Parts: sequence; structure tokens; C-alpha cells
Amino acid sequence: MKAPRTTIRNKLVKAMMLTSTTVLLLMGVVFVAHDIVSFRRFLVEALVTRANILAANSTAALAFRNLEDATQVLDALKADPRMIAAGLYDERGHLFATYPPGAPSGGVPAESGPTGHRFDKSDLIVSQPVAEEGRRVGAIYLKSDLLELDDRVRVDVMVVLLAVLGSIGVAFALSTWLQRRIALPVLDLAKVVQSVSDDKDYSIRSKAVGDDEVGVLAEAFDEMLQEIQTRDKEIRLLNADLERRVVARTAEFEAANKELEAFSYSVSHDLRAPLRHIDGFVELLTKHASSTLDEKGRRHLATISGAARKMGALIDDLLAFSRMGRAEMRKTSVNLASLAEEVVQDLKVDAKDRRVDWKFGPLPTVHGDPAMLRLVFQNLFSNAIKYSGPRGAARIEVDAQPQNGEIVVSVRDNGVGFDPTYAHKLFGVFQRLHGPTEFEGTGIGLANVRRIVSRHGGRTWAEGAIGQGATFYFSLPK
Amino acid sequence: MLVLARRALILTLVTVLNSSTAFGAGAKLTQEYDLKATFLFHFAQFVEWPAETLPDKAPFTIGIIGNDPFGKSLDEIVANETIEGHKLVIRRFQNLGQIDSCQILFIAPSEGKRLDQLLSHLDRRSVLTVGDSRDFALRSGIIGFVISDKRLRLVINLAAANAAKLTISSKLLRQSEIVGPAPVRE
Amino acid sequence: MTTLKRILLAEDNENDVELTMTALAENNLANEVVVVRDGAEAWEFLCHEGAFASRNGGNPAVVLLDLKMPKVDGLELLRRMREDQRFRTVPVVVLTSSREESDIVQSYRLGVNAFVVKPVAFEEFMQAVRNLGLFWAVLNEPPPDKQQSPSLA
Repeated sequence: MKAPRTTIRNKLVKAMMLTSTTVLLLMGVVFVAHDIVSFRRFLVEALVTRANILAANSTAALAFRNLEDATQVLDALKADPRMIAAGLYDERGHLFATYPPGAPSGGVPAESGPTGHRFDKSDLIVSQPVAEEGRRVGAIYLKSDLLELDDRVRVDVMVVLLAVLGSIGVAFALSTWLQRRIALPVLDLAKVVQSVSDDKDYSIRSKAVGDDEVGVLAEAFDEMLQEIQTRDKEIRLLNADLERRVVARTAEFEAANKELEAFSYSVSHDLRAPLRHIDGFVELLTKHASSTLDEKGRRHLATISGAARKMGALIDDLLAFSRMGRAEMRKTSVNLASLAEEVVQDLKVDAKDRRVDWKFGPLPTVHGDPAMLRLVFQNLFSNAIKYSGPRGAARIEVDAQPQNGEIVVSVRDNGVGFDPTYAHKLFGVFQRLHGPTEFEGTGIGLANVRRIVSRHGGRTWAEGAIGQGATFYFSLPK
Repeated sequence: MLVLARRALILTLVTVLNSSTAFGAGAKLTQEYDLKATFLFHFAQFVEWPAETLPDKAPFTIGIIGNDPFGKSLDEIVANETIEGHKLVIRRFQNLGQIDSCQILFIAPSEGKRLDQLLSHLDRRSVLTVGDSRDFALRSGIIGFVISDKRLRLVINLAAANAAKLTISSKLLRQSEIVGPAPVRE
Repeated sequence: MTTLKRILLAEDNENDVELTMTALAENNLANEVVVVRDGAEAWEFLCHEGAFASRNGGNPAVVLLDLKMPKVDGLELLRRMREDQRFRTVPVVVLTSSREESDIVQSYRLGVNAFVVKPVAFEEFMQAVRNLGLFWAVLNEPPPDKQQSPSLA
């Protein structure tokens, strides 16, 4: 199980921190915005109030065109460093008095504007009518800077930031503490899962308690583990049972094998001896009673000898066949081409008086037991030679073709062939389709071939027709 | 607002007309009396008369006795105006006997000889007497117009005002020079 | 100089004895053949014990040994012989019916000199016996017998 790239703890803490920080910042923004708005309103109200106060004080000055008095009234504004300029206008709207006195006309407009307030860049401007007993006698104009507002905003922002920073710290501490309530059950569960996976110990249970989905998960996990544990036990039992059966079977096989070995040993020894005796004493008899034996008698004796010898050959073949079935296969890579060559050379010695034309196609290298495969070739080639006897020159073609993931080897001869009706009997033990007078042999050769080839995982079959030669095939897996 | 604007316009026109039609002293004079007319009107706002001298629905009277120097200006100023619900009227008097209900009385310089007589006649009546000189105030007129430094100033005899049971707003007082003998109070 | 040397034939089957003797006789090799019926008898012969306590001569020139014998079988006898200083060098030829690989392997492991399978066909049997006899009993020089010439020990 690989280690996680991040932790639930980190995720939870991050989530909580992000939430709280965002919320705080939002709140801070709202607070500051609200404060700005309400402070501006307050400033406007204050300035309007001041304008009204000054207006009330300056009604007479305006009514009676008293510049000194009007100027004096406005001069009271110097108490407030925030005031930039002010102006009193007569009833015609012309500028009458200013603050500061003699202020450049840029500070105060020459004509009074509409009543009300407006924010002009970084200044607040208020214009109010001056009225005595409801009758307008003029107007007052006040311009103030907004440094107070700037300062306040600055302070607000600083306060908010400090609060946010402080709160972040608190949020961090809180979230670190809180995440445990969520993370711990999950972490515990993860640990349990890990140890189950590592140790393959299915008896572990999470023992988790939780009222949320994690608790449900832990319970489900426990159930699952229970299932697994049960199945595991079952599997183990089955396996053990299987093992026992296999061991028993193997023992049976080995016992059978041993029996077979003992059997063939016995056969080997005990069956042959009497045959030897038959043949031996027949010979002696023939010699002993040669004078009293006529042709017929001698022929009878010869028959007896022949029979005994035949039986000996059968026994030899049977023994060889059985041995072939039991022998260990030693698989290695076998070059079929060179193996065929060797077998041909060996057979040349035996069939030196026969003329045989060999034609070899490309024979590949296969995986198999060389001794056994040699026997296959020996059998097939000697058969081919034997059954082409009557034909004079024997022509034998050996070829190999890949087919469906196998190698199919064919040995074709131009011999006497066989009746395809009995093709299924060809490879049977001691089955022959020709009499011993036609061709000698015990009929075990092809059975051996089949035995060997099937032990290699292949198949054997043959095609032929009477008088038109025969082709023997065997397949070997690639 | 419209009224104000109209009055302002009229004033401007008057000033312009006056200044365009009459050059020199004549124009100046007209200007001066336009201003005085305005002041007269404003006095009504900054002075309080006793309630019994100005019953409800009674008109607020500004009177002129003597040669009327205001011409049309005063009439125009007060046209359709009210002071605390009292309609403003202008009356011109030739002699004392004609003066009945009058809140503000402008005594023209032509009445200089009769001044004391006039003032004593009006003594204890709640009439705001306005004159054209400082001397007027010294002689127990209540408010006197004074031209000083090219400005129209006011001189107020507070004792006379108190005698006439008139309350002058401190705002007005502030603009003015206060004169008069020390108030003799009983 | 063809001095006939003694052959010890260990064979339990009478028929096989007869056949073998006939074959040896055909080749004029039968004179000095001693037949024992099992490994125990063979051992007695070799050791000059029991029935052979008073025999003369030393070790046979060759022992023709059948494997399947009662009491002490061929391999057992071979083993004993090879373990005994006196008989370790005596040539032994297994002459048996079986061609079991295990027999061949075991025999050579125990130090047999030759392993011959008795052919069923008598003609061939005759040929085999002749070859054996001629070689081992005539041609081959057996190891010097310590028993006969103790001074050479």
C-alpha cells in the first residue's frame, strides 16, 4: 500500500482555515465598507449641521450686508483643520464672504449652487440655504477634506487585518484540534486496513465506533473481513484437503509405478528363462534325434523354436514399451534435423543392401526428450523402409510444417500402404495390418511412437491407401 | 424659491436699470435706498413686536413719513410677502395723526425738524423708528442708517427699542453700532 | 599354451545349467566347470568351506554368475566377493535372463567385469557361451592367485 501524498488532517485543516479566513475577510470587507458608508453619511450630516448652524448665525450678516460679521461668522471654521474653504452668498447667489478671508476664487465658487452635498474627489462639499424665519436670505457653501475618513479607513483596515491574522491563528489551532474528531477514526481504519493488507491477518477488526459514515464504513469493513476470514479458512481447508488427496494419489501412482517396475523386472527375468529353455532343448533335441527325425519332425521342432523366439521378442518389445511409459522425460531442445540424420545413418547399417532415397524438408528444433524422439524416428523410418521392401527403391520424404501452434512432422513412403479402414488400429499395441509372413514385426513400434508423442503433448495419425504408400504424422507443441 | 428668484431678478433689474438710466449720484442714491428698502424689510424679520400690537390677520405695516425716497422699490420688495402670516403693506403718511397701526416707520430726512415731536408722539408705541442718520439714533430713534466706508451701517438705540417694547434680535444687534444714553429704567 | 582354467558356474535353474554345460562342452570348455546352486554354495567353494573344504586349486579363472538365486543371490555374492581381499580380483561375468537397467547398473557398481544377457535363441546362446568361455577361460590371464603362491604375496 503506498503512502498517501497528503493527509486527511491537512485537508481538513486547510478546508477549515480557508473557510474561516474567507469568511473573516468577507466580514472585514463588509465591515469596512459599511463603516465607510456610514462615516461618510456622518461626515455629511455633521457638515450639513455645521453649515446650518453657520447659516443661522449669518442670516443677519447677509440680510444687512455686513461683510465683517459674515466673515467673522465663517472664521469660526478655523477651529476645524479639516475645513478647506467656505463661502456665504447673498440672496442673488453672489459670493459675499469667504473663509479663509480673501480665499482664492478657486476654493469657492462664485455663484451658489444647488442645495445638497457632493463628494468632489477627496473633498466633501455642502451647500445649504441661509434663511431667516423661512425666508431665504442667501446660501452657505462649505468644503471640507476627507482626511478624517481616510484615517478612519486606514484604521479600519488595519484593525480588520490584525483581527483576521489573529483569527487565522485561532482558526488554525481550533481546526487542528477539531480535525482529529473526523480524521482519527479514518486514520485508525486506514491503519487497520494497512495491517490487514501487510500481514494478511484477517482476524483483525477495526473495533471502530462512530455515528457517521466513517463508522458505517468501519462496520462494513469488519463484516467484509469476517467474510474474508471465513472464506480464507474454507480455502485453506480445501487446499489442505486437496493437498492430501494429491499426496495420496501421488503415493498411489508411485506404488503403481513400483508395482509395474517389479512386474517388468519379474517378466524380464522369469518369463524369458523358460523360453530359452524351450529353444535350447529343442535345439539339443534336434541335434540329438536328427537321425530319427524326418522332415516333418524337424519342421515341427523348428516351429516350436520359432514360437519361443517370437515370444521372447514380444516380451522384449512389451518391456521396452512399458519402460518407455514409465521413464522420466528429460526435456531439452532437440534439433530434429540432426536427429533424423543420425537415425538414418544408424539404419543404413542395417539396411545396407536396400536402396533408399531420403528427402528431407526443413526440420525445426523442438523441446522434447532426445532419446524418446530418437525412438520415434527409428520406428517410423524403419517402418518406412520395411514396408517399401517390395518396391525396390524406397523413397521416403520427411517434412515438418507449423500448424495451429504445433509442429506437424510427416514421414511419407512409397511402400505398400495400408487399408485406411483400419487406420484407427495402426497405433494399437500389438496391432498389425499385415501378417508376419509379409512383414516381420511385433506391432509394438507404432504403439511406442504414440506413447512417446502423447507424453510430449502431441498427436499421431496416418494416411494411406493400399499400394500407394503411407504417410505417418505426429505433432509436437511449439 | 420662485419668489426669491423673482425678487432677486427684480433687484438686479432695478439695480441695472437704475445704474444704466441714471449715471452718477442719482444712480447711487437709488441703489442706496433700494438697499435701505431691503433692510427695512429685513428689520421685520429680526425684530419682535409685542403680540398685542399685532393681532392675527392684521397686516404688518411699514410706514413712510415724509418724502418717500424709496420709490417703487419698497413696494416691490414687500409685494406678496408675509411676516409670520401678516400681510405686508406699505403706507405713506404725511402727518402724525395718520399713523395708527404701524410696525416700522421710516422717518424721511425731510422730517428732520419735526423729529423730536414725532419720536415723542411715538413714544411707548411699539413702532420701530428708522432714520437716515446716526444722529437719528442718538435722538432716540431706534435704528439709524449710516453710510460709512461705502457701506450701509446700522446704528441702534437699544434704550429706545426697549422703551418701545421691541425685542431686537442679537443677530441684528451684532451687525450694528449700539448707541444711546444709558438706559433709564424705572 | 592353452591351459584350461577353472570356471565357477553359479546357476539355480537345472535347465539353464544343462544348456550352459552343453554349450561349454560343445566348445571343449566343460572340463573344469564347477557348478553351484546358489550364492551360499558359491561362497563355500571360494572359501574352501563346507562341501568344498578339501578341494584343490585356488580361485576360479572366472565366475559365471546368475542373478536370481535362492539364499544368497548373485548381487549379494558379488558384493561379498568384492569386499573380500581374497576374491576381489576374481573376474565375474553376470550371465542372466534380464536386461533390467537397475541390474546392470548395480552389477557394475559392485564391480562386475562383464554383463551378458542370455539370448532366447539357442544358437545365439551357444555363440555367447563360446565367446565367454574362450575369452575368460582360455585367453584371459586371470589375476595371480594369492592362495596358490603365498610366497608372492
